[in-house]
Amino acid sequence: MKVRFWGVRGSIPAPGPETNRYGGNTSCVSITTATGGLVIIDMGTGLMHLGATLMASAFGKGAGRAAILLSHTHWDHIQGLGFFPPVFVPGNEITLWGPGGSDHVLEGILEGQMDPNFSPLQTLKNFSASFEIRAVQVGVPFEVQGLTVTARLHPHGGTTALAFRLEEAGRVFVYASDVGYADGVPDAESIAFYRDADVLLHDTTYKPEDQATRRNRGFSAYDEACAAARAAGVGRLVTFHYDQDYTDDDVDGIVASCRVLLAGTPIEVVPAREGDELLI
Amino acid sequence: MVIRFWGVRGSIPVPGRATNRYGGNTSCVEVRPKGEPPIIIDAGTGIRKLGKLLLEEAFGEGRGKASILISHTHWDHVQGLPFFSPLYRAGNEVHVFARERDVHLEAVFSQQHDAPYFPVPLSAMHATMQFHGVSEGASFDIGRAKVTSARLNHPSVAIAYRVDADGASVVYCSDTAPFSDMILAHEFVERPPSGILPLALLEELAEMRAGVVALAKDADLLIYDTQFTPEEYRKQPHWGHSRPDDAIEIAMAAGAKRLCLYHHAPMRSDDANDAILAGTRAAALAAGARFEVMSAYEGLEVTVGDA
Repeated sequence: MKVRFWGVRGSIPAPGPETNRYGGNTSCVSITTATGGLVIIDMGTGLMHLGATLMASAFGKGAGRAAILLSHTHWDHIQGLGFFPPVFVPGNEITLWGPGGSDHVLEGILEGQMDPNFSPLQTLKNFSASFEIRAVQVGVPFEVQGLTVTARLHPHGGTTALAFRLEEAGRVFVYASDVGYADGVPDAESIAFYRDADVLLHDTTYKPEDQATRRNRGFSAYDEACAAARAAGVGRLVTFHYDQDYTDDDVDGIVASCRVLLAGTPIEVVPAREGDELLI
Repeated sequence: MVIRFWGVRGSIPVPGRATNRYGGNTSCVEVRPKGEPPIIIDAGTGIRKLGKLLLEEAFGEGRGKASILISHTHWDHVQGLPFFSPLYRAGNEVHVFARERDVHLEAVFSQQHDAPYFPVPLSAMHATMQFHGVSEGASFDIGRAKVTSARLNHPSVAIAYRVDADGASVVYCSDTAPFSDMILAHEFVERPPSGILPLALLEELAEMRAGVVALAKDADLLIYDTQFTPEEYRKQPHWGHSRPDDAIEIAMAAGAKRLCLYHHAPMRSDDANDAILAGTRAAALAAGARFEVMSAYEGLEVTVGDA
């Protein structure tokens, strides 16, 4: 699996020189499989830039195939969809897997984004590509683009989000963004889900001092991510979903603090940065 | 009156090195009549940083008052509202003006805050929010400022605003297609039109253009949608945006004193925007225009009349 980061920011895009190094686009990660399959996780504004790149490939000719895994439907995870050029090319086939419990509930939520009050697209039906929407069955492994995926609901403030565990030929990538553990302590079920992952991408929205007053928002501070990584015995921890107000220097601090917290363990800390790639 | 630009981009925010100078936030302009509370035009992502700054004023103590004029509710013009900090302070008073609909405006704005999309419902924001329906062409007062409006040519319809205060005027004219090739309203238009427009539609377009020219009459600053290059417009005339030449034509007809290019295309780099500005200045000179041409960037501040 080759993982690439297109958007690493939480809540709302954060343009400006102060976010140039890590990037200001909201959540979007792509995974290219060993057999050339494409899996996209989350559809923040980073998706637009992934889409622009894909247009130079089979997607530009209407022969592209991709799966999208959606953690939840908050704006920062869906706002790139209307700006993803491959959906406007007839012949492309995209299947989206997400939360909601049923296909039509999920479709209704995504339709709301395209409502004529808010979007000139007016409806998902104006996509020219085939765009199939499937609700994930939590805990039941399914196959996408040659990967085996298992989804799990984790707490996210007043709601929940999906975490995804992707496996290919014994290699494991876990995507666990937008998670706020009760009292900030990663629970046993979460740890079991992350167990022995080669790479755990984990929500590190906050510094602990900011988390103290914002726990009800349902995100993790970096020390909680480190605790989860350590307990689960993962190979690498990827920091992700940085708060929109954090500058590059703030994020440098988060990464450095994670390295201190995980010193003496074999866990390597890798910051998610727009444009960076990670081979698993 | 001071005008400050907080978001100058169209369609979607675009962070990154290529947009550092002009800025990557979507539409938001602050208009400050002398000694008056802010009149904010559009609530794209640029409103987030404005909101933070306002907290240093009376808004931080829950004694602030602001008006927000919404051109239309497409995402790039409203998506910053849930991140506008003054709305989370009890005691602040925010008046939102937008085009009247057949549903309550509050219902439209609430949808952005619905549980599937955002963690905080509109009803849980502690400031007092009032929604005011604006009909096309309506005029009303906000404090000492006089606000007038006109219809624009955009999918689902947008409206332009003029603010008169301190003996000067600013006109915000975004988003609109030129008033020549097609009428955009509530129908979904999938591809560019072909054939000749019926006379009735041409007359309707002429009337719409006349409304915009009248709105911009002698404006000290005319802020105008110039998202498209001529080439882009040829491909997407049905997307509802103008070219620099359209802005020059309207500014000349209206006798505007300054023209500000606005609502830059998301993928337009800073260098490309520089080139468009230079080209537009040359085109305005060649056309015999007497006004100054500028291009909006985050942080740009323009003073008109008394300040």
